[in-house]
Amino acid sequence: MIMVARNLADPIIVSDPANQGMHMATTLTINGETKSFDAPPDMPLLWVLRDILGMTGTKFGCGIAQCGACTVHVDGKAVRSCVLPVSAVANRAVTTIEHVGSTPSGAKVQKAWLDAEVIQCGYCQSGQIMSAAALLAATPNPDDADIDAAMAGNICRCGTYVRIREAIKLAATGRQS
Amino acid sequence: MNRTMRILASLVAIGIVAVVSAIFIIRGPGPLDFAGGTKVALADYRAGKPAGVPAGLEKASLVERGEYLAKAADCMVCHTKPGEKDYAGGLAFKLPFGTLYSTNITPDKDTGIGNYSDQDFLNAVQRGKRHDGARLYPAMPYTSYTYMSDEDVLAVKAYLFSLPAVRATAPDNTLSFPFNQRWAMIFWSAVFNPDTRFAPDTSKSPDWNRGAYLAEALAHCGECHTPRNLGFALDNRKKFGGAITAGWRAFNISSDKATGLGSWSDADLISYLSLGHAPGHGSASGPMGEAVDHSFSQFAPEDIRSIVAYLRSVPPVSSPDLPATTAPVAPASHKDGVTADARGKKVFASACASCHGWSGESPVSPMATLTGTWAVNDPAATNVAQIVISGTKRHTPDGALSMPAFGNAYTDDEIAAVANYVTARFGTKGSKLTAKDVAELREQTAE
Repeated sequence: MIMVARNLADPIIVSDPANQGMHMATTLTINGETKSFDAPPDMPLLWVLRDILGMTGTKFGCGIAQCGACTVHVDGKAVRSCVLPVSAVANRAVTTIEHVGSTPSGAKVQKAWLDAEVIQCGYCQSGQIMSAAALLAATPNPDDADIDAAMAGNICRCGTYVRIREAIKLAATGRQS
Repeated sequence: MNRTMRILASLVAIGIVAVVSAIFIIRGPGPLDFAGGTKVALADYRAGKPAGVPAGLEKASLVERGEYLAKAADCMVCHTKPGEKDYAGGLAFKLPFGTLYSTNITPDKDTGIGNYSDQDFLNAVQRGKRHDGARLYPAMPYTSYTYMSDEDVLAVKAYLFSLPAVRATAPDNTLSFPFNQRWAMIFWSAVFNPDTRFAPDTSKSPDWNRGAYLAEALAHCGECHTPRNLGFALDNRKKFGGAITAGWRAFNISSDKATGLGSWSDADLISYLSLGHAPGHGSASGPMGEAVDHSFSQFAPEDIRSIVAYLRSVPPVSSPDLPATTAPVAPASHKDGVTADARGKKVFASACASCHGWSGESPVSPMATLTGTWAVNDPAATNVAQIVISGTKRHTPDGALSMPAFGNAYTDDEIAAVANYVTARFGTKGSKLTAKDVAELREQTAE
């Protein structure tokens, strides 16, 4: 378990002084829909999702890509939206927790999460589910090492790691391990 | 003369010849000697304008021209302590023999350079001589700035004098004996400072001459990218062959095909200098990141092209410790490729993989791609460790992309493990850093 102290690193830059006040009309494909809005080009995707588009399912945790709470999919890959400038995702498909249930691996993961009763406080779980869904999409039958490699960057203060591992296996095989 | 006197006289003569030849050998060639063509005085050169500002600024005020030149010479980065007022000095240079602090070059009369006459300023910038007659240490790159024209130096002065005066006194230097003897720099300067202005080379194009002036007199590339000789001056026999400066590796920027810039396209070089990133070559961090942010990104496009033309002409010097080709993309699965260093892999999985990917090609941005960069292909892993410790941030026209600093979140041992894993997985040869190496790297960049 890694301790990440937020004050130890550069705070995430919400707005670069060089671009202060500069807003740009931006169009993104989020959950299959085209969304247009004005935002500074260096605004992290997480801010756009939560504050501009009102999609609050994706959570803010550490702000420095070290806890995984803000995980979304960009072109099917799990990325941390808190350090991803919105200018970097133009023309790429973004999927968030609001929509991941309509992807095959996302649906399996969400069902398994309920069946295994993974969630305790729940704050990190959108990110956990997004990482797990990306893992299963790329590796349909992951072993423990695959789960470690894909999930190590998602931290859970309630310590639901054991149930997360079980649920991923359940989602992959349809069987309780 | 008796026999003893004759022997003594011969010994003295031999001694003098030996010292002079030793100095000559240590000093080696000057930074532009490789070009070999016919040199003329700047005033007699008619083919182009190597000195001064780009055409678009020629009609600008003296202060504006000075501002462009001060940025091209990158005065601010060294003369500003992070978080303090611009140009007010106080930045620490940690050297093996003590710490030097940069000076206040705002026009404050008591603590800055407010009392400097034009001649005082020329003496400082071109000759390393302070207003009070004391000598500057060559951390101030006056052996490069000496090639600046008087007109350009005085334009920089006009710009500095247009800034607000800041009252700020830098801490005293803490150099150990004999390095604390400033007067001894008289001899160093006599040997290593050519005290000469840029002389255009008529056998080269006007573009090349402009590039040479920008790279040598202003941007002082060699101060980091050229290794140093026994006297801590630049060894131009290995011009631009790369060196370690302030704890970071400044890579080979000679025209060597394998380990220098020989295989970079013009577009790559232009992009790297003006944006701090070139696709497949990585992003500028550490001191080069600062040079891009404060200096190269402010250059006129034609000046960047001139620097590229000049860099192309620098003879190839090989870096034998670097591989002939950088490593290809690593496998997409964490299970394939290098699996050694379980601890490094664990740190990578939790802290790095979500942005850099297991293949080294970033799912986030090409700026975060590790594949193809010298940093991960350097078996010493110097810059990998430094970036992990201090993080990095690149400004682009579309905004900034940053990597957090992990120096306080991970132990030296963990940083060594992840650097060893990263260089083994994404580079050609894994590093063998220890916790002690990482502690030493931290020391060198403590500010």
